[in-house]
Amino acid sequence: MGEVRIDGKPAALSAAVKRAAEILSAARLPVVAGLGTDVAGTRAAILLAEKLRGAYDHIHAARIFADLDVVRQAGLMITTPNEARLRADVYLFVGRDLSKIWPDMIARLEPAAVPPFDLKHEPRKLIWVAPGRGGKIEGLTVHTVESGDVQATLASLRARVAGHAVHAAKSVLHELDEAADILRQARFGVAIWGGDELDSLAVETLYGLIVDLNKTTRFTGLPLGAGANASGVVQTSGWMTGFPVRTSFGRGFPEHDTWRFDSTRLIESGEADAALWINAYGRETPSWKKAVPLVALARGQASFAHEPQVVIEIGQPGKDHDGAEFSLETTSIVGRFAEAKSELPSVADIIGEISKQIEGNA
Amino acid sequence: MLIQLKGGHIVDPVNERDEIGDLWIENDRIVAPPQGKVADEVYDVSGQIVMAGAIDIHSHIAGGNVNCARLLLPEKHQNFLETPAILPLSTAKWSTFETGTIYASMGFTTVIEPAIEPHQAMQAHFELSDIPIIDKGMLTVLGNDDFLLSLLRDKEGPSAVADYLGSALAASSGLGVKCINAGGSEAFKYNARTFSLDDVVPFYELTSRQIVEGLQRAVEDLKIPHPLHLHCNNLGIPGNVATALATIEAARGERLHFAHLQFYAYGAEGGHGFSSAAAELAAAVNANKNVTIDVGQVMFKQTVTVSCDSLRQYNGSAMGNPKKSIIIDGDSNGGGIVPYLYRENDFANAVQWICGLELFLLVDDPWRVFFTTDHPNGAPFTTYPDVFALILSRDARNEAIARLPPEAVAVTTVPSIAREYTLREIAIMTRASPARLLGLRDRGHLGVGSLADVAVYTPGPDIAKMFRFAHLVFKDGDLVVRDGRVTHYRWGRTLKLNPDYDKAIDRRLSGYYDRHFGNSRELFSVHERLLPRPDIFQEVACGR
Repeated sequence: MGEVRIDGKPAALSAAVKRAAEILSAARLPVVAGLGTDVAGTRAAILLAEKLRGAYDHIHAARIFADLDVVRQAGLMITTPNEARLRADVYLFVGRDLSKIWPDMIARLEPAAVPPFDLKHEPRKLIWVAPGRGGKIEGLTVHTVESGDVQATLASLRARVAGHAVHAAKSVLHELDEAADILRQARFGVAIWGGDELDSLAVETLYGLIVDLNKTTRFTGLPLGAGANASGVVQTSGWMTGFPVRTSFGRGFPEHDTWRFDSTRLIESGEADAALWINAYGRETPSWKKAVPLVALARGQASFAHEPQVVIEIGQPGKDHDGAEFSLETTSIVGRFAEAKSELPSVADIIGEISKQIEGNA
Repeated sequence: MLIQLKGGHIVDPVNERDEIGDLWIENDRIVAPPQGKVADEVYDVSGQIVMAGAIDIHSHIAGGNVNCARLLLPEKHQNFLETPAILPLSTAKWSTFETGTIYASMGFTTVIEPAIEPHQAMQAHFELSDIPIIDKGMLTVLGNDDFLLSLLRDKEGPSAVADYLGSALAASSGLGVKCINAGGSEAFKYNARTFSLDDVVPFYELTSRQIVEGLQRAVEDLKIPHPLHLHCNNLGIPGNVATALATIEAARGERLHFAHLQFYAYGAEGGHGFSSAAAELAAAVNANKNVTIDVGQVMFKQTVTVSCDSLRQYNGSAMGNPKKSIIIDGDSNGGGIVPYLYRENDFANAVQWICGLELFLLVDDPWRVFFTTDHPNGAPFTTYPDVFALILSRDARNEAIARLPPEAVAVTTVPSIAREYTLREIAIMTRASPARLLGLRDRGHLGVGSLADVAVYTPGPDIAKMFRFAHLVFKDGDLVVRDGRVTHYRWGRTLKLNPDYDKAIDRRLSGYYDRHFGNSRELFSVHERLLPRPDIFQEVACGR
């Protein structure tokens, strides 16, 4: 059994569940935040949020909406890592932290291998925009395009692909034109992007570049998204409520608004008066400064700015217990099975208990 | 629990009942009138129509593509009602919860999701298991997958193809096989922008026709109840009736189901170069008894097109409204999501609307034409009641036709068609025949021993109202709808096959995935124990 605390003191799980139910039921607008959990945990959390007429958000919402806002405004062209690996003759990497977001990326995408489904069967070409300290891959010459402003660089690249003039130093122009040539000649190119440097504007510019390239050839994308099962949570939220995270049941039906239902804003402004923090994937804790009644379902040794009223230690999906989550390897929801199950409960287990308690109180 | 539905008009074509009578339910089954027993509950349904629960064979209700459509269009499914949900998430528009609620309130008790890529199956089954009340099933999409195309190219023979199909169905927990623009998505990855029946898929040197033939044969060899469910090439293009006719020919007298045929009923006549060829197509369907079709009726409404036909969806994205789209080059088919607004005063949309009605009315045999809007592609399934009105009443139809651009009506035959569907024909098309097509012997009729899925409707001058709000609906003998309102959730099953195939192919596939995808095949499997409830699946037997 993991750690359980009430007001900082060790407590029995049943008492902690009871106290959590009291805190959340008493709130006018409770918010479920963090939401780093598997599909089962997400289902339970959203059903609880509805019951409480509260809101829910995800720890990586900023990254989620950098991509999703572009989808909803303009669109998206995407592929899978399998297709990229088997087919792409050109990779366009954008962002310095790609291998940090996805440690297996190079092993999985095999940039230095010859793509077996490419008709010409030639070695791949790789362009890396804003590589930071990355930009070197064994067995392959990387065409790097240095950038202090990713969006501006992508806009210039898009302009050069379309044959428009850009104002840039000769050496920069040379780099851009070399990249533009490779992109135009791609047969099936794949852009791979991720990281905090890419805001919505950068992603939309990249999407515009992909759309332009498809006028004559094939080009598509592979966003790396965010951790803590962000994509799995968004998908689950999608089928359950029609909306991604940052959705509220305050008025009795789901409403979605990325500004209104930002959990940090809700807490700091006083609109939300209690929170359920969920993070089964890491030790990150709430970023808000204000002290509000807080129930935390967290990994062991997670440290909080303010000691929560209730802390219940939970296990990690796929390690401590079986679970389903979004996988970057396949870009689909897959089963993850614990090799050695621990006694730590899952998020779904604990929320199930809290929900039962709330029903019992009602 | 013994229930008596007393004095209703029972319409049950399978058991040759079209008469006033009683229906008895005990627990989850229809039973014979019991001797000397008193019902625990009696419902006086005199003056009401009693049918089996309806079955929808083709409605996109789950899966990654549908879910992406939800996320693409948050502005199109907002709720404004300030009424709290009585049942969990029932006020969440376009959610899985709302889907089950609305289907049930219309008297539908089984719905088939027709297009899930094997690699997206786990998510699809999560979604299906969150659709309350109704039973579900899904068709597994094959026909653009490297393993299959390689088997066909290398002429490994029908048994290898059948084994592969069996294995893919088992891994994805599918109820049948769907093929979508065979080879078209693959060709699109090689930058093809059009793809027809005899066009060749680069890299594999196979035609679309060869892929369809291979799949059709394998479905028969595995004795899968549902024939190959085919989405043809050239969807939505003027003059594409030629493709549909050629594909009917290509079936060579063997069973083949043509999905949403309305989208292939287009000629290229008239001043707009776009006309209805539905009459010609219906004649071909009538003449080829091996062929079944579903209509894919268009209705004038905002909707979103969701399809695994990535080539078609890419080409259609220029016509999107609102103008945004998602195009996916998936592991095999992928897909495309393109919002679309069908307008009554638009020439082409009006012709499409008429083409659908012509197919409904000119295909003679209600056992071979199925009631669909290809939800949400032609229209959301919530428009079904209005479609029923159009085929049951010539007056309702003529009223609607009068609102259309006359030049659109002029390139069709619809004004001359007098046919009105009878309730018996509706019961065949939406109950008896779908059950037979899918191999579901326990439903689609009201015979003794069948599942007590029963819909009771109140007839009246407003046909749409009758079908929108069923008076009573029983699912497995449990009364779940009263006067069009769902009273409580229960959780239906997901129907799947357990095909018999040579398991040696599984070992070969494991090696293939390790080598080819660099991933274990197991990673893509559907794991029943991760789904939210135990015993979600019900097996449907192969063999015909």
